[in-house]
Amino acid sequence: MSIDSVRPAITSGGTGSLSSDLQQTYLSSSCFDFLLIELVPMAYRLAVDVSTSSAVAAGLNPEEVLDEEERREAAFYKLDLLGYRVGQGLVERFSRDRPRFTDGLDAIKFLCKDLWTLVFRKQIDNLKTNHRGVYVLTDNSFRPFSRMSMESGGLALQRAQPFLWFPCGLIRGALSSMNINATVQAETSELPGATFQIKTVVNAKS
Amino acid sequence: MATPSIACIGIIGKHNNPLHISLFPPHSKDRLKFSFLLSSCIDIFEIRALNKTVDQDLGLLQAVDERLAMYGWLTNTGIKFIIVVDMEGRPVPGEISSGTAVTGLRGADLKPAFRAIQTAYIRLLQNPFYSPDDHTPLEIANNPLLKSSQITSKRFIDDMRRIGDAWAPGVTNI
Repeated sequence: MSIDSVRPAITSGGTGSLSSDLQQTYLSSSCFDFLLIELVPMAYRLAVDVSTSSAVAAGLNPEEVLDEEERREAAFYKLDLLGYRVGQGLVERFSRDRPRFTDGLDAIKFLCKDLWTLVFRKQIDNLKTNHRGVYVLTDNSFRPFSRMSMESGGLALQRAQPFLWFPCGLIRGALSSMNINATVQAETSELPGATFQIKTVVNAKS
Repeated sequence: MATPSIACIGIIGKHNNPLHISLFPPHSKDRLKFSFLLSSCIDIFEIRALNKTVDQDLGLLQAVDERLAMYGWLTNTGIKFIIVVDMEGRPVPGEISSGTAVTGLRGADLKPAFRAIQTAYIRLLQNPFYSPDDHTPLEIANNPLLKSSQITSKRFIDDMRRIGDAWAPGVTNI
C-alpha cells in the first residue's frame, strides 16, 4: 500500500505472483480521508441500529433505549475494535522486511515513523517517554483534524474526540502485534493537535 | 536420484498455538508424528529469539534423522513458520527408492518458500473475516463458538498446498 503521488504504470502480465501483487496496491488519499471521517458517524449509526432492532424484538420503545452516554460507549467500542484489527494487519504487512524490534522503544519508533506515515502521511512530531513503559506521542497537526473548524473551542474539542478513538485502537492493535500490551488514551487540547498516551502493561515473562 | 521435498509446513502462533499444519506425500497420514515434531521446535525458537538481533530466517533448527530436517522462520510479530524437509523426497513412480538421502541442502534454498508462506499469511491477515485473536488458547476456552485454533481460510490452505508442491532446491520463485 502506498499513497505516493506517482501514478503507477499498469504492468503487463496481469496478476503475477503473490509478492508483486502486494506491492502494487495504490489508493486514493482523498477516498482514504473520507473513509476515516465517515467511520465515526457510521459507528454511531450502527450503535443505534443494533440496539433499536434488539429493543423492538424485546417489545420496548425504540426511541428510549440508548441515552447519549450509552451511544458514545457503543461507538467507542466499535471504533476501538476496528482500529485494533487494522493495526494488527498493518504491522504484519509492513514489518516483514525490517530488522527485528530490539525493545519497546524500537517498536514505538516504528509506530511513530513508519505506520503513522502510512496512515496519516506524516510522522509523529514528538515522542516522550519516562523509560518505565509510558510513552506520550504528540502530533501537532493530526491529519483527521486538519479540516475541522468551529466557532467555540470547547464544543469543537468535544466533537473532535470521537475521531481519536479509531487511531487509539489502531495504536493498540499495532502494539499488540509487536507483543506489547498497552492501554492508549488520546486527547486534544487544541485543534488540529492531538496527543496519545500509551501505557504499556509489563508482561510477567520478558 | 531423489530430490528433497517439503514433507510438512507448520504455522505456530505467538502464543505457541498451532495455526496450521499441511502434510505432503509420502507423509500425508502422519499428522500426529508431525505435530509432535513441530512442537519439539518451539523450544529452539525460544532459544534463538533470546538473541535480539536474530534474522527472521532461523535456518536449520534441528535434524531428526538422516531423512527429516526442520527449518524455521520467525516473523517480527512472533509468528513461527516451520518447514520439515524430506531429504529423500517424493517417491517417483517406476523408480525403486535407493534409500540414499541427498545431503547438503543450503539454508538459503528455503528462503523463497518461507517468503511465500509469509506473503500468504499477510494476505490472510488482510482478510477482514479472519480475526487473529480468535485463535488464541484463552479465546477458544472462553468462547463456545470457536472449536479449534486452526486456520480455516480455504485460500490460505490452498496457498500452503501450492508452496509445498512447488518447492524444490533451487526454485527461487514460488
